[in-house]
Amino acid sequence: MKRRAAITGIGFITSIGNDRKEVSLSLRELRSGIVPVQFLGNPNLPVKVAGTVKGFEVESPRWRDWRFPERYAGLARETLRSLAPHGLYALCAAEQAIEDAGITRADLVDGATGLYCASAGSAFLLHHHLAHMHAVRGERGNPMGVVASIAGTVNFNLAAHFGIRGAVGGFAAACASSSHALGFALDEIRLGRQERMLVVGAEEVNAETVLPFAGMRALSVNPDARSASRPFDHGRDGFVAAGGAVCLVLESREAADRRGAKVYAEVIGWGQAADGHNVAISHPEGAGLAQAMRRALADAGLGPSAVDYVSAHATSTPAGDRSEAIALGAVFSAAGARPRVSSTKGITGHPLSLSGVMEAAFCALCLDEGFIPGNANLRVQDPACEGLDLPRESLAARPTVALNNSSGFGGSNVCHVLHAGRT
Amino acid sequence: MEKSPSLPEPSSSNTVRKEPLCDFPEEVREAFRRLRETGDPAAADTVVLAIVAEHMPRKGVPISDQSALVADLGFDSFAITEMIFFVEELFEVSISNAEILGVSSVADLREFVRAKLASREPRPE
Repeated sequence: MKRRAAITGIGFITSIGNDRKEVSLSLRELRSGIVPVQFLGNPNLPVKVAGTVKGFEVESPRWRDWRFPERYAGLARETLRSLAPHGLYALCAAEQAIEDAGITRADLVDGATGLYCASAGSAFLLHHHLAHMHAVRGERGNPMGVVASIAGTVNFNLAAHFGIRGAVGGFAAACASSSHALGFALDEIRLGRQERMLVVGAEEVNAETVLPFAGMRALSVNPDARSASRPFDHGRDGFVAAGGAVCLVLESREAADRRGAKVYAEVIGWGQAADGHNVAISHPEGAGLAQAMRRALADAGLGPSAVDYVSAHATSTPAGDRSEAIALGAVFSAAGARPRVSSTKGITGHPLSLSGVMEAAFCALCLDEGFIPGNANLRVQDPACEGLDLPRESLAARPTVALNNSSGFGGSNVCHVLHAGRT
Repeated sequence: MEKSPSLPEPSSSNTVRKEPLCDFPEEVREAFRRLRETGDPAAADTVVLAIVAEHMPRKGVPISDQSALVADLGFDSFAITEMIFFVEELFEVSISNAEILGVSSVADLREFVRAKLASREPRPE
């Protein structure tokens, strides 16, 4: 029998709130975290909105210039000096999640705790350090440059800060990355290798991270922050970038019960399947995502009719949302099932590799508190969504089983199954 | 249009060099100005001591010339490289690995910086 794994702690630094209470309220009331922005001081850029992180001023490459909430004022310079801006978000989210779970510093260093992270690294800091390298013709360089900038910076820094002695690693599959982190963390617990895992996703929202996607024509050019991100809507024109960090504490159910921990939800299965189709575009029929959902359900031992809610990956791009809608139809409508489906990116924007674990955390809140987020800004449904139940407003409901979808470049697709874990 | 506080300003910090020692007390900045104008070695000592105090991991420990960077002030090799980079940037010098190995106390660092500045051509404006 597989070991069970429970979510016992959650930390949020997101565009829609920097703690659980604020995030829950934003999801219930569909309060958007998307605001007007101006990248590089250039009013001529067509991209004019983003899901920013409030309460953090991290626009400088110098950590000494950063400002962040008083709650985290105790962070030592030895910690801050090797962080990127999104590393700071990640550390703050992890501090929240650890406190929320009620685990001690001693628990973190016992070797039974691991850490899996996902981020694309900091293009912003990497640019800064490489520009300096060129300016001094390679004669000197900041010794923090590598560990603060490259993909892996989040796991490097958090593992050292918390003294993690279990499994530590990072995942790089673009927008599916933190979903891989959560899936493989579940396996670590099921296989008995670890008692608990910290799972972290983090991304920056600055010109260096965001604007390259404008070159791909993937970003919305709708200047209205209230309607630019509109997953599944006929008028969608691209995604709205976002940043932040989320940390989940995933723990064996036995360990959680032994210490009387609160359980938000259990993660009872996961699956992945790649499209084998295109480096950047989803399979037009959502073949890989449909297969990932089927594998996740099989892993959980459930059929499509057991699912009450699907947290869709839908980012508000024309091709991606259509592909996911078709995949959902193939898995659920074809089986006569009709779960509620929504994409929370209508209010959060799309935080790239953070999105998978962020939305898994949203699912855990839904299962624990009894609600289903609506599809913000969905006015005229894409015809590809025919047969899907896409609530416009958030619903007071008590789902028992939720699916969480993610898709990334290269056609990577990941799906988690979460259960309310009330029994 | 409203601007988000979390986004870089038009003149990105990537390209803006901040005033040296902007995070340090005025007396340290004054010593640095004196060093640049007069080459006064005592002014260099003041700056070096402030750099050590700012970078040392073991806070609250009194610093003396005899203080060992590792044993007394809590530096590890990574923290030493961080401090050395700060010295390189501030004085616009390059310091080799072999030179770093010769620095184990505050006095060593003070003397090393004095020697490095004296041997540099041209001197800072």
